[in-house]
Amino acid sequence: MSTGNRTTGDGVAVHGVGTSHFGRQPERDLVALAWDAVREAFTDAGVEEVDAAWVGTVFGPAGVAQRVLRAMGITGIPVVTVENACASGTTAFAEAHEAVRTGRYGRVLALGIEQMTTAFAGAITPEDTDPEGRSGLALPALYAMAAARYLHLGAATREQLAAVSVKNHAHALHNPRAQYGGRHTVEEVLSSRMIADPLTLLQCCPTSDGAAAAVLGPATGGAREVAVRGVAMRSGAPWNHTSQHVWGHDIVRDTAADALAAAGVHAVSDVDVLEVHDAFTIGEIVTTEALGLVAPGGGGEAAASGRTALGGAHPVNPSGGLLSRGHPLGATGLAQIAEITWQLRGEAGARQVDGARIGLVETMGGGVSVLDGNACVVALLEAP
Amino acid sequence: MAVVDHLEDSVPHPITVDPRPQVERGPDGLRRVTGRRCRSCGEVAAYTWPRCPSCRDAVEQASFGPDGTVWSATVVRIPVPGRTPPYALAYVDLDDGPRVLAHVRAPVDAATATAPAIGSRVRLAACSADGDIQVEVLA
Ligand SMILES: [Zn+2]
Repeated sequence: MSTGNRTTGDGVAVHGVGTSHFGRQPERDLVALAWDAVREAFTDAGVEEVDAAWVGTVFGPAGVAQRVLRAMGITGIPVVTVENACASGTTAFAEAHEAVRTGRYGRVLALGIEQMTTAFAGAITPEDTDPEGRSGLALPALYAMAAARYLHLGAATREQLAAVSVKNHAHALHNPRAQYGGRHTVEEVLSSRMIADPLTLLQCCPTSDGAAAAVLGPATGGAREVAVRGVAMRSGAPWNHTSQHVWGHDIVRDTAADALAAAGVHAVSDVDVLEVHDAFTIGEIVTTEALGLVAPGGGGEAAASGRTALGGAHPVNPSGGLLSRGHPLGATGLAQIAEITWQLRGEAGARQVDGARIGLVETMGGGVSVLDGNACVVALLEAP
Repeated sequence: MAVVDHLEDSVPHPITVDPRPQVERGPDGLRRVTGRRCRSCGEVAAYTWPRCPSCRDAVEQASFGPDGTVWSATVVRIPVPGRTPPYALAYVDLDDGPRVLAHVRAPVDAATATAPAIGSRVRLAACSADGDIQVEVLA
């Protein structure tokens, strides 16, 4: 890695991050969850105020962003609420980043909030105005069909699917804010209750409440600043009978290519640590392949062999990922940003990836209805 | 009276447009999905959307089916609002037509429920009472 004559970064840095605990917290409201995240991010950044805020939430009621921020004395500034399915938090980050990069605002808060336990009794189903939602396609079933396709093609085995769950639950044992970690065996994962064939309970993310935040500002070379190397966002192209890959593959591949180009990073193999969208085990397998971190059909083997585990060549989801940290939709993207920020500063404790210099965050979400995902955001960050 | 009418109008209407692909039974007794084909690139869709989702060019009405091939399938075993698990779902590539999400009509109980094998040949069946597209596996 080069040190002198620094040419990396695009002039924007993450100055501070913060999160709430992740888990079922129906007894806490979004004000309390957001306060945990914002207070920590402001303290981390050493600031008292921001010039604007972007807030990501999927199921939050109208006006929730302003109401949450008002409770902590953040009023009067421009506040924009964004919804981009599971990528809502990283969309808030991408927009906050662009606002700083272009000089529109000096210091910007990106906040993600979600309370799932009060919105859903179980799995998320797209709304009734969506063809798939009206047809009863709960989201686990969508990922299950991708997994079934992988099994059919011999691109993964059931044991490799389970290995993703084993890995990420083990990672989460070292994350005190994770919803639940655990030392599971492949057999335990496979014998847990079937949700949608072939995905079992331990292969599905839990219902979570939480908040996460980042304070962005111009890069000043500060000792704890994490530089933004590049950010990209896309919505999905049509996904249909002509698609060569399972749902969600191509949007990740294309967004990652944009982000790598923006960052001036030649290959994703130059990345030291990744937080990616693993709402279901098959999601991490497809994503690591789409990112180009592993060869097509190599995602399952990478998890099973430990290559994407802590201690492996390219650790993926050291936080425990969505599977184990939890998946409060709007908060997830900024929880990923927080984890990578801690990793690049060397502050990740027992789950630290030694010497991590470049980190990648990827979030992708949405339903189908002839779309390869509603949105994907990929961001590349670099250590101070 | 105007005030009363106004108050009555303030009650939300239920959603009356069904977003699911529409299935029609032809004179030959077989069922087909009514959708659109792009006049420019030939892309097909199971919906009556005004433009081609691939190239944005003009579309014309087309019908697809009655048969197709299972791209992938699963059995949903968790409660979903308004539905009783387990039930089988499949993405079906209709012959020369689009990919549609369909329920697989079969005797399903928790003990024996299985999804049709990928590659299975299926045929559009009558929609469910609630309007879901259904297919049955061809022998
Ligand atoms: Zn077209």
